Amino acid sequence: MHNYVFKTLWRYRTRTLLTVTGTAVAMFVFCFVGSVQQGLDQLTSGIDADRSLIVFQENRFCPTSSRLPQSYADQIKKIDGVAGVMPIQVWTNNCRASLDIVVFNGADPDQIQANRPIQLVEGNWSDFQSRRDAAIVGRNVAQRRGIKTGDQFSIGNISVNIAGVFRSAVPSEENLIYTSLDFLQYTRGLDTAGLVTQHEVLLSEDANPDLVARNIDKTLRAGPVATKTRRKGVFQASTLSDLVDLIGFAHWLGYASVGLVLALVATTTVMSVQDRIKEYAILQTIGVGPFRTLRLVLAESTLLCVLGGIAGTGLALLILGLGGFAIGAEGATIAFRPSVNLFASGVVVSLVVGVISGLAPAVQAATVPIVRALN
Amino acid sequence: MALVELRGVSKSFTKGEETITPLDEVDLDIQAGEFVSLMGPSGTGKSTLLNLISGIDRPDRGTISVDGVEVTGLSRSKLADWRAANLGYIFQTHNLIPVLTTYENVELPTLLLKLSKSQRRQRVELALEAVGLTDRANHYPRQLSGGQEQRVGIARAIVAHPKVVVADEPTGSLDAQTSEQIQTLLQRLNRELDITLLMVTHDRDVAGIASRKLVLDQGKFVDSETAITMGV
Ligand SMILES: Nc1ncnc2c1ncn2[C@@H]1O[C@H](COP(=O)(O)OP(=O)(O)OP(=O)(O)O)[C@@H](O)[C@H]1O
Ligand SMILES: [Mg+2]
Repeated sequence: MHNYVFKTLWRYRTRTLLTVTGTAVAMFVFCFVGSVQQGLDQLTSGIDADRSLIVFQENRFCPTSSRLPQSYADQIKKIDGVAGVMPIQVWTNNCRASLDIVVFNGADPDQIQANRPIQLVEGNWSDFQSRRDAAIVGRNVAQRRGIKTGDQFSIGNISVNIAGVFRSAVPSEENLIYTSLDFLQYTRGLDTAGLVTQHEVLLSEDANPDLVARNIDKTLRAGPVATKTRRKGVFQASTLSDLVDLIGFAHWLGYASVGLVLALVATTTVMSVQDRIKEYAILQTIGVGPFRTLRLVLAESTLLCVLGGIAGTGLALLILGLGGFAIGAEGATIAFRPSVNLFASGVVVSLVVGVISGLAPAVQAATVPIVRALN
Repeated sequence: MALVELRGVSKSFTKGEETITPLDEVDLDIQAGEFVSLMGPSGTGKSTLLNLISGIDRPDRGTISVDGVEVTGLSRSKLADWRAANLGYIFQTHNLIPVLTTYENVELPTLLLKLSKSQRRQRVELALEAVGLTDRANHYPRQLSGGQEQRVGIARAIVAHPKVVVADEPTGSLDAQTSEQIQTLLQRLNRELDITLLMVTHDRDVAGIASRKLVLDQGKFVDSETAITMGV
């Protein structure tokens, strides 16, 4: 009987095509919004969100305005629960909210290799470690800006040699460009010898992050610059708080797309069933039972929805994968990455919506008064 | 026991204030292998009677059983299964599924039965052969003539080897020559394949091919002699 469903969809192919296209567009939006949402969640749930701390200058927000002595690292190292400290100099082309933010993090290359959950997909570590102006770029930036290994990349006063492209277990990290600490400190115009933007603190296994953070701030209060230490996830979320509110709003757009698909497919299926109500009466006269009739209609609506869902979700993931989109402000970024989860949820949502949108017309077809429909 | 038994079957319809009772306490027996024709003035309830026997409509009172199964007691879902295995329905016109080919239309009822692929194939081919349309197997309904469409409908009605086939004015919308072809075909199905047939018609000549002629008037069966004297 599938044959009947396929042939019916093919016979009314204009209608089928329009419905599938509409569904695809809506599911494209759903998936895009989903990836934004996912990026946001990963900000505070990523593997390093709770197990590392960021020490920043108190009451400062933009990375250019936070200036901490590099020597704080030695003091922090001595505090209980601290496994390691990585001083980081941050430079960004734009401190305000932007879709094409470029963020440089300068740190010791050996420490980057040892501490960050990143893997080179191009180039090699030794080139990065041996050249002063070498940089490795996250694949999101690389995709967005079309950067390849061996390229010279310049922005503002900074000009680096690309030694490799990396991917990271923490998606937002894929928006970063790593250079050596010295290089960024001595960049013309930054004038930050001996100063860094922030210290990233790695916690030992059993350390309580908030307790360690309080101890760090207490210890450094005696120093020339007061600090504010937070978990990395909290630090990033609060840096991006304006954006977080805005993006939080975007999930309504996701629900709206699902509603749109529901309305679209339900309308198409209702019309299709009403047009062919006599056909369903004939089928039932032949001996097709009400449950089988129900399934025939549901198969039709679900097929429309899933086809559109796969097309829209697939396209969204392709564009997300190639585009390397990110939104950021004040040196922190949210990455919009494609993921298997996103694809799976897109397909599952369209499957469920397909079934739901077919329910009413399916019941109508299954319970059609046969004699009246035949005449 | 007769193959089809109607006992005290009544059916009324209400249209606003008015109540019509096309079937009023009707009794009927049809024996296995019979070819029964049913005539009567328009609106007397001939189609209604076929619909009740097929179980696509329900009587207000009375019982209908086919081959010992009381059709009137089955649920909608059970009725569908029962029809698939036991009843063929030949419509007057245009009741093929337009998106399916001749072969697929005839195959439909067999998909509802527990048959192997090869058994299914064999049955469809036999049915198409019986109606002489083997060479039109891959045509769509819109590519067939009215008479051919009707033959496909007949093949579909007999493919599941039902116990009873009902036909509602099967020649009603065909020209004289095509009508004759269909009559011959129905007669052959009855004689050669031993199919029990109940056929509604308005045409006395068509009714003549049946082995028993019934006339329905004012809610009751009258025998055909009385009917002729009444001028029905
Ligand atoms: N669903 C219905 N609602 C109301 N009245 C109905 C309905 N179905 C049939 N009738 C009425 O019942 C009567 C019998 O109808 P039926 O179709 O059985 O007649 P028929 O003998 O087949 O007529 P014809 O020879 O014109 O086909 C008619 O008067 C018809 O108007
Ligand atoms: Mg009739």
